[in-house]
Amino acid sequence: MAELVVSRLTKEFGAVRAIDGVSFTVADGEFVSLLGPSGCGKSTTLAAIAGLDMPTAGLIRAGQNIFFDGESSRFVEPEARNCGLVFQSYALWPHMTVAQNVDFPLKLRKLERKERKRRVDEVLALVEMTHLADRYPHQLSGGQQQRVALARTLVYRPAVLLLDEPLSNLDAKLRDRARSWLLQLKEQLRLTTIYVTHDQVEAMSLSDRIVLMDGGRVMQIGTPKEIYEAPANPFVADFIGTSSFFDGELTSGGATGRVRIAGDSEIAVAGTTRIPVGAPVTVAIRPDRLSILASGAPAPDEAGTALHGRVVSRSYLGGRYQHEISIAQTLLRIDGPYVLEQSEVHVWVPASSCLVFERGASRPRSAVRH
Amino acid sequence: MMRTEADALPTLARESTGVSRYITRSTAIQSAVVAATVILVFAPILPIFYQALIDRPLYDDGQQFTLANLTDLLQSPNFWSVAQNTLVFAAATTIIAQVLGTTFAILIGRTDLPFKSFFAELLIWPLYISSLVLGFGWFMVYGPSGFVTLWVQSQFGEAPWTLYSITGMSIVAGISQMPLAMLYGLGSTALSNPQLEDAARSCGAGPWRTLRSVTLPLLMPSILYSSLLNFTIALEMLSIPLIFGEPARIGFFTTLLYTQGISTPKPNYGLVAAGALILLAIVMLLVFLQNRLLRNSQRYVTVGGKASRPKTLALGRWRLWALAFVSVYVVLFVILPTAVLFLRAGVSFLSPFVPFWTLFTLSHFHDIISFPAYVRSIVNTIIISVVGGFGATFFVAMIALVARRSKFPAADKLEYVAMIPRSIPGLVVGIGFFYALVLLPPLGWLRNTIFVLMVAYTMRYIPTGYGAISPALVQISTDMDRSARTTGADWWTTVRLVILPLIRPALFSSFALMFIHFFKEYSAAVFLFAPGSEVIGTTLLQFWVAGDMGRVAALSTIQIAVTVAFIYGIRKLLGVKIYG
Repeated sequence: MAELVVSRLTKEFGAVRAIDGVSFTVADGEFVSLLGPSGCGKSTTLAAIAGLDMPTAGLIRAGQNIFFDGESSRFVEPEARNCGLVFQSYALWPHMTVAQNVDFPLKLRKLERKERKRRVDEVLALVEMTHLADRYPHQLSGGQQQRVALARTLVYRPAVLLLDEPLSNLDAKLRDRARSWLLQLKEQLRLTTIYVTHDQVEAMSLSDRIVLMDGGRVMQIGTPKEIYEAPANPFVADFIGTSSFFDGELTSGGATGRVRIAGDSEIAVAGTTRIPVGAPVTVAIRPDRLSILASGAPAPDEAGTALHGRVVSRSYLGGRYQHEISIAQTLLRIDGPYVLEQSEVHVWVPASSCLVFERGASRPRSAVRH
Repeated sequence: MMRTEADALPTLARESTGVSRYITRSTAIQSAVVAATVILVFAPILPIFYQALIDRPLYDDGQQFTLANLTDLLQSPNFWSVAQNTLVFAAATTIIAQVLGTTFAILIGRTDLPFKSFFAELLIWPLYISSLVLGFGWFMVYGPSGFVTLWVQSQFGEAPWTLYSITGMSIVAGISQMPLAMLYGLGSTALSNPQLEDAARSCGAGPWRTLRSVTLPLLMPSILYSSLLNFTIALEMLSIPLIFGEPARIGFFTTLLYTQGISTPKPNYGLVAAGALILLAIVMLLVFLQNRLLRNSQRYVTVGGKASRPKTLALGRWRLWALAFVSVYVVLFVILPTAVLFLRAGVSFLSPFVPFWTLFTLSHFHDIISFPAYVRSIVNTIIISVVGGFGATFFVAMIALVARRSKFPAADKLEYVAMIPRSIPGLVVGIGFFYALVLLPPLGWLRNTIFVLMVAYTMRYIPTGYGAISPALVQISTDMDRSARTTGADWWTTVRLVILPLIRPALFSSFALMFIHFFKEYSAAVFLFAPGSEVIGTTLLQFWVAGDMGRVAALSTIQIAVTVAFIYGIRKLLGVKIYG
């Protein structure tokens, strides 16, 4: 076991910079997710750590073992890194049985036959695949293949476990089950793990910490709670919480500030102390904290704003309704148990659900989606 | 339970820094493969350039560089008639092969012709057999004193054909090359989307209209591509020009090289090299055109419809006519030439006017098996095909693995080098290796061995094997190698234990292809063989020159028999289908 350090890692494919100065550290036994939309560079980072791609610059180190150093052009071949990589495609060798697949890394390490058998049995028991040891990969379901793929990497006790979207090829139900199984396994093994995914639910539920990436750069590093509750920028807010955004101008600051948005409405926002009054800002609103005010009902007893909006669409999602409500040219999606019959409503926006970001030169791309 | 220190595994610490990582076992193997490929491909080409540009044989002392060989060749009165003959022959051969091949491809691939798979099998047969043997078969049936020719003469006073003309030779060559055009057409009809035809039918086109406006245009890329292929093969063909052109004094490039370089007591080295160079230039140009053509073929690629079984076109009242046409063709041009060859091998004299069953004899076979040099040519051919075919398959697999599955610098360029032999005619390969051995005295010992033939054949058929192996390799996800690498296998271990086992079916078909090509190859051997390294093809030519048709027929029969046994054996044993 060892900590893994990635420092100023850059990878260029021709003129395209797939990852651009990515740095993070994974502590010994820590489970860290690389999270981001497709094309954000998370898989490229993983391939660089595994040694499957040669980075352009930077440093990768596991404990005292330097995998890659751009400056001394040191590059350790993938087979000498002792990383365990579980592929999105599982990449089980179709001409070998389950047991042979798992045994392969042990054979390479020239272990005795008896010892190999013991370890293969042990790890197959761990992933609950003992009864299928003599099957071939094509005879297994997706979920079973995934377990074998994991067993094949666990069997040689890799210094770092790398998981590349291991759940993305499973159907929704199986994915949920595999996720809770992975969580159990994680608690049991405590391996230094990097988990690549584009699914924030997976990242949130499994990780000790999340490295959120976009456009080849690190957007934020933090615990799931930190990232959800204090996103560093509108991109993170959008990616993690599917927020809605209003552009406006900060009219007063302090613990509870006010922002004027289009249509001359003002909304109350929280946490604006570091932004100067008069600055152009973006307000991100988490839809899960919004509620519809019944007509004539008083405002809740908290800082917030009641915004007037028009119901644009209603759809039944099974058990609940989703409404799209247009407020100041922005669409808010609000789920509720009842269908809204009226065409105009008031939406209660608590100040604590409004995150304010200064709109400056450093605003990340794709910050506003709606 | 997984973390106890006592359980720690030995790590595969193959650490490497700086220069040292370039000389691992894997990179050493990769470098060796690249070097061997480059040497093998250029070994026959460079000596030809050299010989074409010097004033005396390349083994003499005191060479002067000169352009005289080329200018002499271009100014000789023969040259232009030879060039014209060659081009007319190649063009006519191509047209005949394409028209027949496309017709059969549509009949078999798209219509309800009865006994389709049976006919397809018979129609493809000429592809497995050396065009030398096919030519002999035609000679014995339709030649000046051929079985059918004599019979027609006796019935009608004279036979209305002669094979001793460019037209006659083009028909023989065209029919021999037909299977290639048919195979490309069949491949294309199998992949095409039947919905495209249904769409034409549903908007009001009749079956023939659909055939003309949709089916045929969709076949165009395969027709064009196999046209160029057949044109190239006809240009570099030695067998049919030699069998029918030489007696009629119709000269071709290949027969010019053969007569000036082999069958004359005083070979003209400069002239042969210059001729080889010109042939090489023409074929290279054609191969370049083929590649250009392939690049633009994308717009003909039909999308979807992969799993759907193409519906067939109902021929209606034409069905019986089509059946009659295909049957007559198969009997006259596939069965008869082979059957008469077999028959001739078993009789002392063959004529339509003498009942053959009174003339049965095994003396031709007896002659062959009682003369060591003849037996040796059979044994040599089999050894070359088995051992050489095995070695060539392994070598080509290594080329494909380095080109497609390694991080070797410029690995992608290796594929271009591997494709170069496509543009080198067999005869030129033979001349080139012959010169290379003369130029490099330390390699002289190779000259009388079959090893040099294996090397030359391997070089000649790298692209053939590559075509069988590379698509299979592309089918295998790179995750297969990447996962092996991360679990601790180096490149060579990954190749041995993961990739090669996964492409085993492709390796089998590559071996089968190599065997068949090596078994029927003769043109690369005519310059390279020596006493001790005879092959069936060179012995056949020897019998032919001596006018000994009984032995020609007997040895041809042996060649066909071994080929049939091999093809059906490998189909049974390994389930390998060689074409299609």
